Amino acid sequence: MNIEAAPQAPLKVALVEDDAAFQEAFRTALAGAPDMAMVGVAATAAEARAMLSEPPVDVLVVDLGLPDGSGIDVIKEAHARWPGCAIMVATTFADERHVISSIEAGASGYLLKDSPLPTIAQDIRVLHAGGSPISPRIARQVLMRFRPDEKPVEQVEAAEAAEKSGVPSLSEREKETLQLITRGFSFEEIAELMGVSRNTVLTFVRRIYAKLEVRSKTEAVFEARAYGLL
Amino acid sequence: MASSRAAGLTQRQWFPWVAWVLAGLVALGVAFVIESRSGGVRITSARMTVIDTVGYQQPPAVSPATLHAGGKVVTMPHAPAPVWAPTADASPQRIATRVTWYALTVPPLPDDGRQLYLYVPRWKSDGTLAIYADGQLVRQSHANLQWNGSNEPLLVTLPRTNASHPPRTLDVRLQHVRGIGGAFSSVWIGTYRQLAPRYTIREILQVQLTSFSSFAFLATGVFAFFVWLSRRDEPIYLLYFLTSAVVFLRMLHTFVGMHPLIISDAWFGWITVISPYWMIIVLHLFVAELHGKRQPLLTGAAVLVGGFWTIATLPGLLDPTLLSAPVYSNLLVLGLIIAGNGVRQSIRFRSRDAMLLSVWCLITVVSGIYDLALQQNLISIESVFVSNFTGVGFTLLFWYIMFGRYIEALEAATRAKADLAQRLAQREAELAASYEKLREIERRELLHQERQRLMQDMHDGLGSTLVTALRAFEGDRAADLDAVGILRGCIDDLKLTIDSMEPVETDLLLLLATLRFRLQPRLEAAGVKLVWDAGEAPPLQWLDQRHALHILRILQEAFANILKHAGAREITVSVRAEDDHVVVRVQDDGRGFDHASPSRGRGLTNQRSRAEAIGGAIVWEPSDRGSRLALILPVSKPRGARSNL
Repeated sequence: MNIEAAPQAPLKVALVEDDAAFQEAFRTALAGAPDMAMVGVAATAAEARAMLSEPPVDVLVVDLGLPDGSGIDVIKEAHARWPGCAIMVATTFADERHVISSIEAGASGYLLKDSPLPTIAQDIRVLHAGGSPISPRIARQVLMRFRPDEKPVEQVEAAEAAEKSGVPSLSEREKETLQLITRGFSFEEIAELMGVSRNTVLTFVRRIYAKLEVRSKTEAVFEARAYGLL
Repeated sequence: MASSRAAGLTQRQWFPWVAWVLAGLVALGVAFVIESRSGGVRITSARMTVIDTVGYQQPPAVSPATLHAGGKVVTMPHAPAPVWAPTADASPQRIATRVTWYALTVPPLPDDGRQLYLYVPRWKSDGTLAIYADGQLVRQSHANLQWNGSNEPLLVTLPRTNASHPPRTLDVRLQHVRGIGGAFSSVWIGTYRQLAPRYTIREILQVQLTSFSSFAFLATGVFAFFVWLSRRDEPIYLLYFLTSAVVFLRMLHTFVGMHPLIISDAWFGWITVISPYWMIIVLHLFVAELHGKRQPLLTGAAVLVGGFWTIATLPGLLDPTLLSAPVYSNLLVLGLIIAGNGVRQSIRFRSRDAMLLSVWCLITVVSGIYDLALQQNLISIESVFVSNFTGVGFTLLFWYIMFGRYIEALEAATRAKADLAQRLAQREAELAASYEKLREIERRELLHQERQRLMQDMHDGLGSTLVTALRAFEGDRAADLDAVGILRGCIDDLKLTIDSMEPVETDLLLLLATLRFRLQPRLEAAGVKLVWDAGEAPPLQWLDQRHALHILRILQEAFANILKHAGAREITVSVRAEDDHVVVRVQDDGRGFDHASPSRGRGLTNQRSRAEAIGGAIVWEPSDRGSRLALILPVSKPRGARSNL
């Protein structure tokens, strides 16, 4: 993890989290990182929305289980209001369902809550620099989403129609990357196997996440049309 | 509702019958009115002269003048009493014959030059007929000796020339077998308008009706025959065809014979006289088919009697025409027995159709008695053969029965369709219910197993670790404890448990990848390098969530041992497909350790039992450095492992 720390202005980081313990741990983690500055904390979705009307930050970390709503909605809104901001979902187990719906809402990474504090700061740095973490299971899920022939029959037609309407599909290299991830290889090993740099692999993943988000949006529109909502 | 519907059905069923009877009565009434309104002069007395002859001779061109002086006066219709068995010699050249002359005097008729006709309702003679007007031959039979169309009424056109007057005398010459025939009805003379109604009604009743119904019956019979060809297991259709064919043969003599036949008199006589036996036999079989109870003995007896007469009267043996009286008598007895039996059986086996047919057979037999009397000249020969009409009745009855069967078959098909749909729906519902039940059981079983699995897992792993830590804190030995390490271990345990609950869909590599993803931070923290050598692994069909957790725990234990005891710097994980197994090897470069040491005992037992539970095995392979654990997994479903359900 040799991403260079930002030379001049520190990264502006904001947190949406109702658990005081994690808030504290997060503060501590960032306090130990001179290249980062904690610029805002919201404990509820309402507070988060208020925060979103302020100037954008560089990295926003969102917990999904908020007392007054879903973190997914906060991510969606943040993605719309602060397009340049890298959004992370804070999760304990990195379970696929939550992570993938967060990515579809506009997040580009996740933060494991039980990570050692230095790892938290490092993960934020990596994300801001364009790298996204991905677990084998998430990789597999993403592969499934982009493979129309593995979908249930009634979705195939929708998928074919969606394809024509400009929904992005994965490139061969992106697919290969995902396949290697599902087989347990690390970014370094994948870079070596594919003959590219580690950074390239990271950008592949980031691009895959972006495509996942676009795809989910287009599919939503398409489904709305199919159901006569649009 | 149901009863009123049944009543409605009964009403509708009776309606056509009433309509038929009414139509028949109206037709009869019209016939009587027309008959009574027609005119003409009827001649009922004649002088009869009889001359015995041998063989047949052509009639003279002019009738003998002596006829009107001699002979004896008789009343027309006149029929001599026939003898029971007239002659033994049937050949036309040597047969004992007789010429019977009837000389009639015509009452004065207006001489206005109108065309005059003779109307003869019936002449009965097994032989020839010649009619003279004023001594001149005006009409003679030309076709056959015996089957000469005597059932057909005659309408004879009298000659009409520029010099002709109404005839004063009419002479009739019949040459016939001595002992039978020679009967002649009264004669009508008049204009066409006067005689045509009479003639036409008799012609329709006696000839056209039977001819039409015979042909129609035969046509439906042929249809039934083709039905039978495609449905061989339903002999009733064949019997229908046979009945129609036999009835047709029997009825032939009522509408042919005016012109030469294509077969000899002998064969035609055989067919006509013997066919009622065949009728009785096929009707008997048909009725049995209707009520469903066969009677082989009675059938055999009927076939025996019918067969006897059939063979005995073959041309060249006995002459059926000459023997018709005894033949018909015997026939009546057989018909009575068969018809009576049919009625009895129909009552016993409650068959309405069989009953109708049997009763009609009985009526036919009774009318056969009347016809026999008519044939034997016991009643006025101007009467009609009633069994011809019962023959028409057979046609209608058979149509009625077949119509009923057809309608019944259609209704049965409709019912069967509805039944089938209903049964199908019912079966579907049952299946859905039982499927739902199975699903429910399966779901409960799955939940139970899942609970068992997690409880067992937490009891062995997380639970015991936490309890150990708790005891340490309670005993103030917390300082000896790597509290962070213990908690991290607990969280890792939890993560693996959660991972094991996600489906892996037979993909062992994905499962191992997940394990690496979880363990990587700890390995990194311990400064151990992980070499990942994931080759190809075939899909493992048996790999479900329970099996997945076992595999994860076995390998987790292996890693924990290496980290704790081996002091290794590098761990290599390799996956290989070998024959019908997949082997996962975990090799370290540490000190190696004694697998039999007591401190390792519990973990080892755990790993072994888990491996056995999933049908695999654990082997420590010899290695130059460190130790090498091999987890051997079968590709196909392990026999030793308990199934998921």
